Amino acid sequence: MNSIWAVAKNTIKQALRMKIAVVFIILLLALLPVLGVSTTGDETIKGRLQTFISYGLSLTSFLLCLLTIAISIYTVTNDIKEKQIFTIITKPIRRFEFLTGKLLGVILLDMLLLVIFSIIIYSIAVYMPKFYQVNSVELAQAKTEFFTARAALVIPQQDFTEQARERFNKLKAEDALPENMSPAEVIREINNQMQVLSRAADIGDGIEWEFENVKPLADSIFIRFKYEVLQETPDSRIYSRWVVGDPHSVRTGEPGKTPVFVQDYRHTTETFHEIEIPSEVIPESGKLAVVFYNYPSNDTVVMFPKDGMEVLFKADNFTMNFIRSVILILSRLVFLTCLGILTSTFLSFPVAILLCLVLFVTASFSGFVLESFDFLSRNVGILYTYTLKWIVQILPEFDKYNPTKFLVPARLLSWSFVGQCILFMVCIKSFLLLVLAFLIFTYREIAKIVV
Amino acid sequence: MDYAVETFSLTKIFSDWWGRAKVYAVDDLNLQIRTNEVFGLLGPNGSGKTTTIKMLLGLLHPTKGKCLMLGGDGSDPKINARIGFLPEESYLYRYLNARETLDFYGRLFKLPAKVRKMRIEALLDMVGLKAVANRSVGTYSKGMARRIGLAQALINDPELLILDEPTTGLDPIGTRQIKDLIIKLAQRGKTILLCSHLLADVEDVCDRIAILYGGKIQTQGQVRDLLQQTNKRQITTDVISDATVEKIKKLIHAENAEFEITSPMDRLESFFIRTVETAQRQAQSTSGAVSTTKISDFLEKDAKVESILDKLVSSPVVEESPEKVITTEKVEAGKSDIPEPNKQLLSELTGSKATSRIDKTPKEELTEKVEAGEANQEEKINRDILNRLVSSPESQEKKERQAGGDGDE
Repeated sequence: MNSIWAVAKNTIKQALRMKIAVVFIILLLALLPVLGVSTTGDETIKGRLQTFISYGLSLTSFLLCLLTIAISIYTVTNDIKEKQIFTIITKPIRRFEFLTGKLLGVILLDMLLLVIFSIIIYSIAVYMPKFYQVNSVELAQAKTEFFTARAALVIPQQDFTEQARERFNKLKAEDALPENMSPAEVIREINNQMQVLSRAADIGDGIEWEFENVKPLADSIFIRFKYEVLQETPDSRIYSRWVVGDPHSVRTGEPGKTPVFVQDYRHTTETFHEIEIPSEVIPESGKLAVVFYNYPSNDTVVMFPKDGMEVLFKADNFTMNFIRSVILILSRLVFLTCLGILTSTFLSFPVAILLCLVLFVTASFSGFVLESFDFLSRNVGILYTYTLKWIVQILPEFDKYNPTKFLVPARLLSWSFVGQCILFMVCIKSFLLLVLAFLIFTYREIAKIVV
Repeated sequence: MDYAVETFSLTKIFSDWWGRAKVYAVDDLNLQIRTNEVFGLLGPNGSGKTTTIKMLLGLLHPTKGKCLMLGGDGSDPKINARIGFLPEESYLYRYLNARETLDFYGRLFKLPAKVRKMRIEALLDMVGLKAVANRSVGTYSKGMARRIGLAQALINDPELLILDEPTTGLDPIGTRQIKDLIIKLAQRGKTILLCSHLLADVEDVCDRIAILYGGKIQTQGQVRDLLQQTNKRQITTDVISDATVEKIKKLIHAENAEFEITSPMDRLESFFIRTVETAQRQAQSTSGAVSTTKISDFLEKDAKVESILDKLVSSPVVEESPEKVITTEKVEAGKSDIPEPNKQLLSELTGSKATSRIDKTPKEELTEKVEAGEANQEEKINRDILNRLVSSPESQEKKERQAGGDGDE
C-alpha cells in the first residue's frame, strides 16, 4: 500500500507541477463565474438557472473528461517514454501496483477538482436569485420548478403487437398489404401507428391517463406536456380543459373525499408546458386520473409525443439531486481514467489520446450511434452484429447518464439510477478495462520501444 | 558455488515488425558473477551490455535462455528489494526535488519513515547534493542528476548493485568518488556489476571483467591476469645517480634484454584532482564572499563530499571488523590476492583523505606536495563530520546492515 500510495502521490504532483491540470483549472475558474453572469435563458430566474446549470455542469464535466484522458495517458506513457519506469519497476513494486497507484492518483485528483468546481457551481446557482434581486413570483417559480427534485411518472407504454398482428392478418385476407414491405415491417408499422393513435385526442374528444404511486412531498404537483398537431391552428395555440383527480370521481362525476381540479387553458404547440396542480386532489390511494379534453374549436387532432406527457411531483431536494449528479460525473471520470490507463499500456501518447477521444465522443452519443448502426446494420448483417455493435455496447452510455438531463427540468435523479450507473460504468466496464490493462502491462516488455 | 548473477544461454533477438529476426543483441551468453566481486561488463557501443542488464532486471524478456539474480527472478519484488540499479542515464522526475526523489524511491522499498529520512539525509550528504536538495532535479546538470541516480540506487542498502555507465557526465572528481565508493562497497561485501566502455574506470575498480562484442563474450577473467605483461618487468626507483644507472644497464645487458629509462608520468586524473583541491583551499582562505559565488559553492560542496563519502562508507568497515574479516577471507580464497593491488591503486590515485583509513603511507606523499599543514587541518574537520555522523543515526543503520549481513551468511 505504501508503494501504491507513493506512486499515486507522485502522479498528483506530476499533474499539478507539469501544469497540465493548471490550464484546465484556470479555464474553469474563469469561465464559471462568467457563465453565471452571462447566461440569460428566457430572462426569468428559472431560465437563467437552467441555462447556467446546463452549461456550467456540461462544461465542467467535458473539461474534466478531457483532463482525465490527458493525464491518465500522459502519466503512464511519459514514464515509459522518459524511462523513469526503469527505476520504478525494478524496485519491489508489482506492475499492477504501479498502475493502481497511477489510477488512484488520477481519480483522487479528479475527485478534488470535481468537489471544488461542484461547490463553485452550486454556490453560484444558489446565490443567483439574490444577485438578480428577483420578485417573489419568479422566486417561487424557481423554487418549485428548479430548486427541487421531482419524480416523474410517464404514460405507460402500451403494447399493440397482438392487435397489429390481427390487423395484419385482416389486411392479408383482404389482399390489401402494401408492396415492397416484409411482414415484419408491416406489423411494426401498424404497431407504431397504434402507439401514436393511443396518444392522440380527436377533435372534441379527450384522453384519459391513470397514474399510480403519486406521493408528493410538496403542496403541488405538475403536469408537463407538449402538444403536436396534425393541422396548424391559426394562432398556434390549443384550447383545452384539464381535469385531474381521484379516478372514480373524474369518471363518474360523483364527488369523492378529495376535490377534482378542472381548468381551461390555452397553450402553444410544439413546446413543453407545465400546469401546477394542488396536491390536495390526490387521493390516499396514490392513484390519479388525468384527462385532456380537445375543444372542437381547435379543429385539429392533438397528439402527445412519446415523452410528451408526465406527472411531476417533488420527491427530494435540489442539494441531494446535485450531489448525485456529481457522482454520475465522477463515475464517468473513473471510466475514462481506466480507459486512458489501458490504452497507455500498449500505445504511445498521441495514438492513445486519439483512440480515447474517439471512444469518448462515441460514448457521449452512444444512443445515437447505436441507433444509426442498428439502422445501417439491416444491410450489413452478421459482421456488424458480432463486431462493431459489441464494441459500441461495451462503451458506457454517457448520454444516458447525463446529469444535466435531470437538473435542468429539476427531475429526480434516484439513488437506484446512480447505483445502476456505478454498477455498469465503474464496477463492470471500468473493472474489465483495468484487468485488461494489468494483464497487458504485466506481460509486456517495458524497455521495448513502442512506436 | 553461489553466484550473485548467473545467465544460461541468454539470448535476445530483436525482430522487425513482421517478426523477422533483425539483430542478435545478446547471443548465447553465459555469465557468472560471484558474490562480493566487482564485475565489469565491457564492450563497444551496441555490444549488448545494456540489453543484458535489462533482461536481468526483467525489463526485456529473453528470446532464449534464462537469468538469475541473487538466485531468483529479476522481476520478483523480493529480489528487487535487494538490488540497486542505476540505469545508463538518470531518468528522474524533473518536477521533484532531490529529497522528494529519494523519498519516493524509499517509499517504493516500503522503508519505514524514520529509516527513510535518515538514509535520505546521509545519501544527500554523500553525493554532495545537500545544498541543492530543495531544487527540482530538472534543473540539475547531468553530473548532478547522475549523483542523485546513484543515491536512489543505494537507498535500500542493496546486496547487488547494477551500475550502467555510472560515471558518464561526471567531472573527474565525481568519477573518482564513484570509483572509491564502488571499492568501499565491495569491501563491505556487496556485489557490483559495472557496465561501461570507459576502460580506465573499469581497470581501477573491477576484480573480473568480460568483454562483449556482438552479444557474445569475447574474453573474460581477472583484470590482473588479463593485463599483466608476464614477459616484461618494471622497476621504479627514486632519483638515482647516472653512475648507478650505468651499472644497472650493464647488468641488464648481461641478460641480453632490452630496456628504456624515463621519469614516470603522473596520471592526469590525480593531477587534476590535486589542482582543484589547491584552488579550493585558496578560495576558502581568501574570503567568505567568494564562497557565495557559484563556482566556489560547487567546489566546497565537492570537498565535503569526498570526506563524508569516505566516512560513511569506511567507518562501518572499521567497526564491523571481526565480521568483515570473515567475509573477505571467504571471497579471497576464490580469487587470489585481488584486493591488495586495488588498495594500492586507490591510494595512489585519491591522494589524501579518501584512503587515509585504509593505507597510511602513500597518502602523505601526495598531500605533502600540496601543503602539509592545511591537510592536517582538513583531516580534523573531516573527523568532526565523521563523529557527528557516526554518533546519532548511523549506529542504528549499522545494526540493520548487520542484520542484513547475517541473513546472507
